[in-house]
Amino acid sequence: MFHPGGVHGARHIAQSLHHVKNAIRGTCSSKLLMQQKAAAAVAVESKKGTVTPPPTGPAPTAPAAPNSVEVYIDDKMVMVEPGTTVLQAAALAGVEIPRFCYHDRLSIAGNCRMCLVEVEKSVKPVASCAMPVMKGMRVKTNSPMTRKAREGVMEFLLMNHPLDCPICDQGGECDLQDQSMMFGSDRSRFTDIKFDGKRAVEDKNIGPLIKTIMNRCIHCTRCIRFGSEVAGVDDLGTTGRGNEMQVGTYVEKLFASELSGNVIDLCPVGALTSKPYAFTYRPWELRKHESVDVMDGLGSAILVNSRGGEIIRILPRVHEGINEEWISDKTRFVYDGLKRQRLTQPMLKNSQGLLEPVDWEDALSGIAARINRVPGQEMAALVGGLCDVEALTALKDLMNRLGCETLCTEESFPMNAAGTDLRSNYLLNTKITGVEEADLVLLIGTNIRFEAPVLNARIRKAYLHNNLRIASIGERVDLRYETDFLGDSVHVLAQLADGDHKYSEILSKAKKPMIIVGSSSLQHGDGTAVLANAIVLADSLRSKMSSNGDESDWKVLNVLHRHANQVGALDLGYKAGPSAIKQMQPKVLFMMGADDGVVQRRDLAGDAFVIYQGHHGDKGAEMADAVLPGAAYTEKYATYVNTEGRAQRGNVAVTPPGMAREDWKILRALSEFVRGSSVLPYDSLDEVRKRLAEIAPHLTRYGQVEDANYFRQSKDLVWNAARPGHSGQTLPAQQRELEDFYMTNTISRASRTMAKCVTAARHQKSTRYGL
Amino acid sequence: MSLIQKTLNLFRAIKQNGGILSSLKTLYVTDDLKWGTHVGTDKYGNKYYENNYYFLSRNRWVIYNPDFHLDYDGSQIPPEWHMWMHYTTDKPPTVKPPVNYKWMVPHQENKSGSSEMYYPYSTTRTKIESWQPAHLRTADTEEQNPKLFNIPQNNRIGVQ
Amino acid sequence: MLRNASRLHACLNGSTSPIASTGCLQEGLVAVRHQATQAATPPKDAKPQKTKFGPLKDQDRIFTNLYGRHDWKLKGAMARGDWYKTKEILLKGHEWILSEVKKSGLRGRGGAGFPSGMKWSFMNKPSDGRPKYLVVNADEGEPGTCKDREIMRHDPHKLVEGCLIAGRAMHARAAYIYIRGEFYNEAVNLQIAVNEAYKAGLIGENACGSGYDFDVFVFRGAGAYICGEETALIESLEGKQGKPRLKPPFPADIGVFGCPTTVANVETVAVAPAICRRGGDWFHSFGRERNSGTKLFCISGHVNTPVTVEEEMSIPLKELIERHAGGVIGGWDNLLGIIPGGSSVPVLPKSICETVLMDFDALQAVQSGLGTAAIIVMNKQADIIKCIARLSEFYKHESCGQCTPCREGCGWLNKIMWRFVEGNARPEEIDMIWELSKQIEGHTICALGDAAAWPVQGLIRHFRPVIEERMAQFAAKNKKTASEKKGTDRVAIAQ
Repeated sequence: MFHPGGVHGARHIAQSLHHVKNAIRGTCSSKLLMQQKAAAAVAVESKKGTVTPPPTGPAPTAPAAPNSVEVYIDDKMVMVEPGTTVLQAAALAGVEIPRFCYHDRLSIAGNCRMCLVEVEKSVKPVASCAMPVMKGMRVKTNSPMTRKAREGVMEFLLMNHPLDCPICDQGGECDLQDQSMMFGSDRSRFTDIKFDGKRAVEDKNIGPLIKTIMNRCIHCTRCIRFGSEVAGVDDLGTTGRGNEMQVGTYVEKLFASELSGNVIDLCPVGALTSKPYAFTYRPWELRKHESVDVMDGLGSAILVNSRGGEIIRILPRVHEGINEEWISDKTRFVYDGLKRQRLTQPMLKNSQGLLEPVDWEDALSGIAARINRVPGQEMAALVGGLCDVEALTALKDLMNRLGCETLCTEESFPMNAAGTDLRSNYLLNTKITGVEEADLVLLIGTNIRFEAPVLNARIRKAYLHNNLRIASIGERVDLRYETDFLGDSVHVLAQLADGDHKYSEILSKAKKPMIIVGSSSLQHGDGTAVLANAIVLADSLRSKMSSNGDESDWKVLNVLHRHANQVGALDLGYKAGPSAIKQMQPKVLFMMGADDGVVQRRDLAGDAFVIYQGHHGDKGAEMADAVLPGAAYTEKYATYVNTEGRAQRGNVAVTPPGMAREDWKILRALSEFVRGSSVLPYDSLDEVRKRLAEIAPHLTRYGQVEDANYFRQSKDLVWNAARPGHSGQTLPAQQRELEDFYMTNTISRASRTMAKCVTAARHQKSTRYGL
Repeated sequence: MSLIQKTLNLFRAIKQNGGILSSLKTLYVTDDLKWGTHVGTDKYGNKYYENNYYFLSRNRWVIYNPDFHLDYDGSQIPPEWHMWMHYTTDKPPTVKPPVNYKWMVPHQENKSGSSEMYYPYSTTRTKIESWQPAHLRTADTEEQNPKLFNIPQNNRIGVQ
Repeated sequence: MLRNASRLHACLNGSTSPIASTGCLQEGLVAVRHQATQAATPPKDAKPQKTKFGPLKDQDRIFTNLYGRHDWKLKGAMARGDWYKTKEILLKGHEWILSEVKKSGLRGRGGAGFPSGMKWSFMNKPSDGRPKYLVVNADEGEPGTCKDREIMRHDPHKLVEGCLIAGRAMHARAAYIYIRGEFYNEAVNLQIAVNEAYKAGLIGENACGSGYDFDVFVFRGAGAYICGEETALIESLEGKQGKPRLKPPFPADIGVFGCPTTVANVETVAVAPAICRRGGDWFHSFGRERNSGTKLFCISGHVNTPVTVEEEMSIPLKELIERHAGGVIGGWDNLLGIIPGGSSVPVLPKSICETVLMDFDALQAVQSGLGTAAIIVMNKQADIIKCIARLSEFYKHESCGQCTPCREGCGWLNKIMWRFVEGNARPEEIDMIWELSKQIEGHTICALGDAAAWPVQGLIRHFRPVIEERMAQFAAKNKKTASEKKGTDRVAIAQ
C-alpha cells in the first residue's frame, strides 16, 4: 500500500491536479494560485463594494470583475472568480469555515470532512475546500445541517484522539482543541471507551527534530503533502487502511529534508511536535518578537519566542516575497547554538600571552593602546557574513577615522570589470518572487537546495505548477526536481555566453529566463570567469528579449549569496574578499564576526595584534589577542540586507549574555579610547540609522527592494576587459549533501541540535535505504 | 540532699579531676565539674564517665581528649560510644564491643567551619555556556568528552 | 437447464406449489404496482402498463453460457452469436450506438443505476487532444455478488465485444479491464479471450475491419474492496493507493492518467452488443418503465439452490426466489429477512419481501436498493444482528482510511454492533448508533461510508425489537452480578 512517488510521480500528480483545477475552472491559466491570491486581495480591498446584505431591494450594483460569478454565503453576496472554492469564497465573505486538511499552500485533499457546508439544492453537505463555486450558489455555513455535519466529524475525530492535552505540546495552539470548542459537542457519548479504549499507534522515530506522537494523528495528510509537494521528499506516506492507517515512513528512517521542521507548524494536532521544544513551555507563556533570519542570504521572516532571557523556539512568519510561510531547519532549530560557545566577557592577552577575562574598560584601553601605536595604513578590518549593517557602519566609520581603508568581507567576489561597483552585479535582481514568473532557471555553481532552501522550495513550486524548466551548471547535486544538467565547469557557461552550445537555442527561446549564480562558485579560482560569462550571457538574453518586443524590465542576472548580510557589507563599500589583507600584512587586524578562517595568523605581520569582536568563540576568537563580546542576531536591533537587496530589521528577543553588548555600541565605546578625534558621532540607535540613511538611503527603507539596473554598463566593462580565462575545473558545491547543510556558520556550529542532525543524516546515509 | 553530701561530691569531683588547679581547668573547658565512674576511653582518647547520682541525661558524659582543648565537638564521639551516650543502649562498647564490618567507613568528625568543610555544588547548568580560551578549557565540552553529555555514539538516528 | 432444475427443486421441496405461488404473487403484484405508480412514476394514461414481469423466455437471454455448459472460447462464443456483424455496428457510428443504448433504458449494473446512455454521452465532448478511455470495473467485491465473474469466466467474449462497442460509442482509444485480484481463473480466461480477439483482428488496430483502433488491457487488482469505487479504481490503475478521489472533477473530465474516462460495470458493458444487435426497444420491453432490461440476479444465503440467474427486471422478489433458488430453506414462512442488493443495501423484513419487485425504483421506495442485485436470504435460523455485525466488520476492514467519518465511524459501528450481538449495551445506544450511521452517511468522499451505514440502518429500522430483546436477555443474565457491582458496563467487561 505504501506509495513511493519520486519526483516524477509528484510532478505527474501535480500536473494532473493542475489539469483538474483547470478543467473545473474552465481556464487555461497556469498561475492559478497567484491569480486567486490577487483576486482575493482585490476582493478584500473592495470588500465594502462586493459584500452586500441579502438582495432584498433592487439588484446589487457591485463593481464586478469581468467574468466573476456571484455566490451567496449565508445570504451575503460575494463576487468571486470562477474556480474559487467555496471555502475561499466564504473567507472573502468573512466567514471562517473550520478545516484540518485544507492548507493554502498544499494541494487539496478533502479528507478531513470538517469543512462540510450545506449548499442549497444539494442533498448532501459538500466539502467546501474542494468544491468550486457555481453561479448563484447559496451556501449555508451555519445551518443545522452544516452544524450537525461538523459536530459529527468532530465526534469521529475525537473518538480516537487521546485526551492527553495536559501533556501535549500543541496545547494552546491546537486546531483540534480550538475547533472542538467552537464546533464540537459539549459532551461525549463514546461509550466504547469502557470496552475497547482508543486506537494506539506506535510512535515513529523520524529524526532529531520532529517528535511524533502518532496516537494523536488525525490523518489530515498535510505532512505527507508537504513532503511530496513542497520539500520534494516522498519520505512520508500512509500505510495500512481504514482505522489501521498510519502516517509514517514505512521503514523507520530520517525525514531527510532541509525543510522538515515545517511539518510541525502544519500539523493541526500534536502528532508532530518539535523535539528540542518538547515539554518546555506553553505557547501563551512565550514572548514573541518579530525578527529576521540570518542563516542564509534570504533573510526569512521569523518569530522568535523567548522566555526568561532564553530563546525557546523560532517560528516562521508569513512573507510572500521571501519565505511564504516556510523556513529551513537550520533557521528553526539553530537557537540552541545561541546558548553555547558564547563570548560573555571581554578578554585580553596577559603578559604570558594567554587570554584572560578583563573589564570592559581594561579591554578597550588595552586595545586602544595597541591601536594608537600603529598608523592607519597598517590596520585592516575583516567582517563575516552575520554582521549587521549598524555594526558595519560603526566599524567602517571608526577605521576610516583612524586612517584605515582596508575593510574586507570574508566572502570573495570577482573584482575585475565592474566588480562590486555596480550593485546589479551582486544582487538577486529578479527578486525571489521572480521565480514564479520565470519560465527557465539556469543554476550556476550552486546547490540551491542547501544554500537557500526556501528559494529552492519556490523553484520546485514553479516547476510543479508553472512548468518551470531548470538547467544547472556545476557539480551535480540532487535538488529534488528534474534539471537539465549542462556540465560541471565554466567551460559550458562560456559556450552558452558565446551562443555555441546546443542548449543556447532553448535558452534564447525562454520568455523570462533567470540565471542564478551561486556565491559559492565565485569563491572558486574560476569565479571571475563564472561571473563575466554570466554577465555576458544575461545581457545577450536580455537583448534578445527586447528585440522580441518584450517591454518588461525583466532582469536576468541573479547572484545568490549565502550570508545574511553580504549584500549589506558590499552596499556599504566593504571590499569583497580578504586578498587585500593578505597583501598588506597588517599590524592590527580588527575581525568582526569573521569565523570562516579565511585569514590566518601567517597572513599577518609577525607581531600583529588581532582584535576579535563577535558573539561566538570560534576560529576568530581562537586567533585573537583581544576579544570583545558582541550580540547575536536575536539580541540586537539590527538591519540586514538580503540577497535581493532588501533591508530588513531584526528585533531584540533577549538581552546579550553576560557582559556582551550590541556591536555598534562596543565600537562607539572603543572610539572614545582611541587616538585623536575618532569619537563616533552617534549615541543612539536612531542616530546610527540616520547615519545609515546618509550613506545609503535604501538601508533604512525597510522591507523594500532597492532595484539596480546597470546591466548593459556592467557587460560593457566585461567586454572591454580581457575575457578571463578559466581552469575548467568542476565548480564544487560546498554543501553537497544533507549533512553539509546543518553547520555552516558560527551559530549553527555551536548548536547541539544541528550536531545531532549531522549525525542523523550521516547515519541515514550509511543505512541500506540511504538518504 | 544535705549540704554535707553536696560538699562531699564537690571534693570527690575535685579529687577525681586531679586537684584544684586542674579542676578549674576542667571547669573552664567544659563548664562543668562532675565525678563518676570512668566507663571507658575511645580510640580518639575521649573518656566516658557515668554517675547515676546525677539525674538522667546528665548522668553520662564525656571528657574530650585534652588535645582538642576548646575545639571539641559532639561529632568527635564515635558511633559506638554515641549509642551509649544517647541511651540507645546501656552496654558501653567496653562491655559489648561493636561488630566491625568491612563496609564501615572510619568515623570522621564534622568538618563544617573548617577548611575541609563540604561545599555543595549546583546541579543546574547555566543557561549560557561561555567560550573559554584554550588554556582555560576543561574537558567538559561535548567534542572532548561526549560521554559526559550522554550522546550515544551509535544511536539509530542520532536521537533519543 | 439449471434454471429448470431449480424450478423442479422448488416443486419438490417448496411448501407451496409453483402454481399456487404464482397465484398469490399476482395479488401482491397489483398492490406493488399501485404503490410504485403512486410513489415513483407519474401515471401515464396513454401507455398500457405491463403488469407481469418474468419469467424470462430462453430466447430472450443475453448470457447464454452463464453456467459454462458450452465452449467459452472464441469459436463457441461466435457460435452463440457474439462478434456477429460487429463491424456493421461499429460502422453505424457512435451516435447510433448511443441512441440504441439510450432507447434501451439501460441503467448501470454496478449498483448506482445511473442511465448508461447518458453517462456514455458525457464523453462526446469535443476532444482537447487527450485520449479517452473506457475502464471496465471488474473488481466485483460486494459480498453476495457473483455475476461478473460468471460473465468473465464463461462468456468473456461478451465483455470484450462490449468493450469495443461501448468504447466506440465514447470514442475511447482503449479499454482497461480492472479485474479483481482474487479472480485468478477469470483473469486467465479473460486474457485468453482478449488474445483470441486480437489474433482474429476483432480488436487492436483496425478492429473488426472497421478502421477503428481499439485496445483492451486486462489489469489485475490487489484485493481491496474500495478499488471497486470508480475513482479509487482509477487511482489503483495508475499504480497508486486505491483511495477515492474527490469529485468534481468527475472521471469524464479527469480520469485515468488525467484523461477523460468512463468507468462501467462488466454487466453493463457486456449487454451492449446484444442491445445493439437486437435493438434498444427489445431490451426496453423488459421490466417496468425506467427499470428496463434483463438482469443477472445472484441469490445466496438460506435458499435451497443458490444460483446466479438472468431474469427480467422488476420480477417479484418472492417469485425469483421460489422459481430459481428453490425457495427459502424451511419454507417461505421461515424467512426472516432479505438483503436484496448486495451487502451495502438495507435489509428487508419478510413483510416487504412478500410483495416487492426487483428493480431500482421499487426497492428504493421501500428504503433499500437494487444495488448489484445480489440477494442474500436469511431465514429464522440466522442471527440477524450477527449477520449485520459481520457486514459492519467487513466495511471496517475495507474502509480506505482516507476521510474521517468512514475511517473512524466504521470502526465504531463495528464495535457497537458486536456488543449488540451479545446484547451488552443499553437501549439508548440503538438511537446513538442510528445517529452515528447518519453522521457517516453522505459525509464521506465515496459511497463506502453510505454502504457501511445502510445495513445498520436497515437492521434498526426493521429489527429493533430483536436488538432490544437481546439486550434484555443479557441484562437478565447479568442481573445478579450487576446489582452487586455498580454499573453494568464494568460487568460486561468481566463477561
